[in-house]
Amino acid sequence: MKLLGGIYAIWLREVKRALRDRGQLIGGVSRPILWLLIMGIGLNPYFRGEVYGEVRFVIPYTYVQFIFPAIIMLNIMYTSVQSAVSVIWDREFGFLREVLVSPMPRWAVLLGKILGGTTIAVLHGSLVLVLARFANIPMGWLNVVQGLALMFLLAFGLTSFGIIIANRVRSFEGFGVFSNAVILPLYFTSSSIFPLDPALTRAQTAVLYPDWLIFLVSINPLTYAVDAFRGTFIGFNQFDPMLGLIIMGAMAVGFFTLALIDFNRA
Amino acid sequence: MTPRPVPSPSSEAGPAERASNISVRGVSKRYGRTLALDDVSLEVEAGRLFALLGPNGAGKTTLLHILSTILRPDSGVAEVAGVNVLTNPLDARQRIGMVFQEPSLDDRLTVQENLNFHGLVYGMSLADRRRRIEEMLELVELSDWREHLARQLSSGMKRRLEIARGLLHEPRILFLDEPTVGLDAQSRERIWMYLSELRARENLTIVVTTHYLEEVEYCDAVCIIDRGKVLAEGSPEELKAAHGKEFLRATALNAEAADRIHARHPEAIRSGNSLVIEVKDAAFAPAFLAAFAGELETVSIDRPSLESVFLTLTGRDLRDKKAEPRDIVRAAGQRGEASTG
Ligand SMILES: Nc1ncnc2c1ncn2[C@@H]1O[C@H](COP(=O)(O)OP(=O)(O)OP(=O)(O)O)[C@@H](O)[C@H]1O
Ligand SMILES: [Mg+2]
Repeated sequence: MKLLGGIYAIWLREVKRALRDRGQLIGGVSRPILWLLIMGIGLNPYFRGEVYGEVRFVIPYTYVQFIFPAIIMLNIMYTSVQSAVSVIWDREFGFLREVLVSPMPRWAVLLGKILGGTTIAVLHGSLVLVLARFANIPMGWLNVVQGLALMFLLAFGLTSFGIIIANRVRSFEGFGVFSNAVILPLYFTSSSIFPLDPALTRAQTAVLYPDWLIFLVSINPLTYAVDAFRGTFIGFNQFDPMLGLIIMGAMAVGFFTLALIDFNRA
Repeated sequence: MTPRPVPSPSSEAGPAERASNISVRGVSKRYGRTLALDDVSLEVEAGRLFALLGPNGAGKTTLLHILSTILRPDSGVAEVAGVNVLTNPLDARQRIGMVFQEPSLDDRLTVQENLNFHGLVYGMSLADRRRRIEEMLELVELSDWREHLARQLSSGMKRRLEIARGLLHEPRILFLDEPTVGLDAQSRERIWMYLSELRARENLTIVVTTHYLEEVEYCDAVCIIDRGKVLAEGSPEELKAAHGKEFLRATALNAEAADRIHARHPEAIRSGNSLVIEVKDAAFAPAFLAAFAGELETVSIDRPSLESVFLTLTGRDLRDKKAEPRDIVRAAGQRGEASTG
């Protein structure tokens, strides 16, 4: 019971701090608008399965619909990783000590922190849902609930990942460089802005894309996360629908454990 | 919180007064090649206001960090309020309050939120939190500031808030690591006022580290520490008696009188008609006055000061001279606050 109160306090602090940080909120709102309304709508006409002037296959989704789930993931990636900065902040400005001398066990402190970051990331992820109408995506309650659950799972894993990095980098500048160097490459190679197979059938893949790109995309765990989001929001899966869930679950458990090992040592 | 049986009898059953002891036995801590603590042992009785006095790098912070369980010693045992900090850190933490040398507030939370966070993390109920936050804000005179962000407070007010926070969960022991450093005279005085008020009101043991010798006079017991070693321990009076020297300064009316005094006290240091004589016992001054009262222009006694004790023991000056100008600048910045807060 007492422990729950403590975890709640740490969670609440993370949420309050994030909500009071205007910059982060502005990013969370402007990013999806930029990607969806500009990039999405801009590329929409080119996403038709036309190769060398000849329509080779018919794709049942518009480009905006196709990247919509990926934009949810992008917003979660930025926010989750960003929330880990608070670890560096706490260490730098002494607040970490206040928590370390408290009778909270380390795992509970870490859990509260990660849940706080996760909450903000899910919030930013669901901001994208507001744009669903512009992407012409019908949004039922079931979709939303299922989507939020997936967002939570992904955000939990990514926040833990951010904390692992923050524990190693230890400076604001270093962390900024790192997160920029890692977020976009991971995003681009997650089959977020192009389908692994342009014809949406496996056979075409090898014909149209070089091997190294296919390789990168298929080893990127986020590929499967995007796939799970697509399954939920536009009913399209490139892989087994369970695969995304399993990989996101494994990321959440694995990264949390690693972060805890780090934190117990600190 | 932890369903572990309480092994130490003193923490539950024994006489309440005894339970708040702090006991450090043979604690050593090394950072690379620096021996920060070298086989330190000391005891603090319950209800004491105990000062750890030492120059920069003496190991004061290191010792407090070990006592507050956030640092493990290389060897030795430490107990707070009857709980071993090494084997039972979570229980120990519940019983201590800590004010760190470096600020540790969350600047982006309000005064109230900082305190509420602390209360929740220490497992306090809503009713307890409400009551204690009220009490503590009153004590440190910050009741009017509760809705302000911590970043809007002056450094003196931040310090006071940290003290309020350290006490919120009603600890048995409060550690303060240089609570008054960098503050102006008025803020420093206030902080000492709160500490003495607290000691009278709550059954609290206070351990404070400081650079300021004049502050040590407020304390019941002092431990002088340098280069990781305990050099002396006792009440300020005891320390002065054991290590300080008392001097009588006299200026004679004329040269003949000075000669007569010097003849009687050949060990005196004389310059012109002024003489400085070491006071050896309590009977010395009355006897001196009885003998020479009619031939003196002025007479005064220099009491042994802790400054002289410290110099005798360590052979160096306590204050970090380089830090002084910064203190003065900060103190100047405080003055605006002093009138409002
Ligand atoms: N994290 C650390 N890594 C390496 N050396 C350290 C570390 N912390 C302290 N030391 C060294 O240990 C010694 C004791 O430091 P400590 O901070 O305990 O001194 P202090 O008495 O609190 O000094 P001050 O009055 O300046 O606060 C110093 O020589 C210091 O350089
Ligand atoms: Mg110190």
